[in-house]
Amino acid sequence: MADEIQNTRLDNLKETARPCFQCGICTSSCPVFRVAPELNPRVSVDSIITKGEVPREGNEWLCAYCLMCDQRCPMGVSLAEILMEIKNIAALEGKAPPDVIDSAESLMEDGCLSPVSSRSEKKRSELGLPDLPKANPKDVQKLFKATGALEVLEINKAAQEEDKE
Amino acid sequence: MKYAFFPGCTMAYRLQFAEKSIRMITPKFDIDLVDLPFTCCPEPNAVRAMSDDTWVTFAARNIALAEAEGLDILTACAGCHESLSLAKHELDENKERRNKVNEILKGLGLEYKGSSKIIHVHQLLFDEIGVETLTSLVTRPIPIKVVTHSGCHLLRPERILHVDDAEVPVKLDLLCEALGMEPLEYMDKTMCCGAGVRKTNSVTSYAVLREKMTSMQMVEPDAIVVFCPTCFITFESGQKVTNRIFGTDFKFPVFYYTELLAVAMGLPETDLLLNEHRVKLDLPESEEKGEQAEVDLGDSVASSP
Repeated sequence: MADEIQNTRLDNLKETARPCFQCGICTSSCPVFRVAPELNPRVSVDSIITKGEVPREGNEWLCAYCLMCDQRCPMGVSLAEILMEIKNIAALEGKAPPDVIDSAESLMEDGCLSPVSSRSEKKRSELGLPDLPKANPKDVQKLFKATGALEVLEINKAAQEEDKE
Repeated sequence: MKYAFFPGCTMAYRLQFAEKSIRMITPKFDIDLVDLPFTCCPEPNAVRAMSDDTWVTFAARNIALAEAEGLDILTACAGCHESLSLAKHELDENKERRNKVNEILKGLGLEYKGSSKIIHVHQLLFDEIGVETLTSLVTRPIPIKVVTHSGCHLLRPERILHVDDAEVPVKLDLLCEALGMEPLEYMDKTMCCGAGVRKTNSVTSYAVLREKMTSMQMVEPDAIVVFCPTCFITFESGQKVTNRIFGTDFKFPVFYYTELLAVAMGLPETDLLLNEHRVKLDLPESEEKGEQAEVDLGDSVASSP
């Protein structure tokens, strides 16, 4: 079942990447490539079109999602979306980096990624800002579970434990 | 006019004074802001990278809350704006996905309908209120040289967001000009601040910031003006880290645009905002001190609760 889903995802990726003729404007427009050339959107896509494989090195996690590649692709290929999907596939295999797992956990616990602390709440009242209504934590967890995030989180935490051993 | 206000986690809990500046200026344009129990937008990189379905469903819940109140959403963060707009686009275009999301939202007593618009403060000021109106309200002009950074997530994907030209953005410059500032052109104007990769690989992130700020430094601005709390924090706090890692010497004051608008309109208590800055810049006092902007747009449609 899991394999089947991953295969469908790969097929969709191939279809999305098909118009790419490897001109490389994505890579030359990438601000991260400029300082960390291991992130190379053109090479990530090349793996999909020529080898029919999702790249496994994990470099896509360096994408800052600025969408400059997406903006400039002459074939209208949404490179950033392809990198995003590669990351989704990797996450299902337990390969999400620790900070992504942390973000997912904060979302599940607080419904919010920036930690709400007594200090941050105090600053709000000092400035005369209203208390913001909070989402019902049960609703947040319900969504988290129903959309499969809990499962992905568990896969990744198990993988983290395995790495430690 | 009344909006469901979406300050986003970063602004609400880390850049409260920027949120304050928005809440200071909006009543002057007869705009009421309504607070709803939103979650994180969710943040468009980390959460979505883990599960695209989770991302789209959380965003749908947020939009559905505003729809239930019959309100459009006013965003203040580029990241939130992009996340909600992209999710809306996906749900409006992809019926199958919308049905799947609505199956889940039904359990929360909500439904995504696609009836609420999502606009950022940038669009409210430039497209709805307009530069001419803003110019007419200035009592305390701000004669400084600035570089502007609209933020990747306000500009791209341009085909969906339509906020400004993604390669040659000019609207934030014009908004600055309206307040008496001189916007400067610089080489890497549309380049990312690096925030998106900070948690995954901080050195890479600060190297991107170094490139960006080197380009800004070349034209010798007095300050940086942004429209995103995440970019704000990246520039203001990140420049110190960048200096430590790479031996650079950045020390730029950074402003969220509506702070400067509040100052230029001569609103009271703007010192409250400016005192919160880590790198301070003394802004010139008004020539006619004590005069406060009187704004009457004539056709108020909203009444205060």
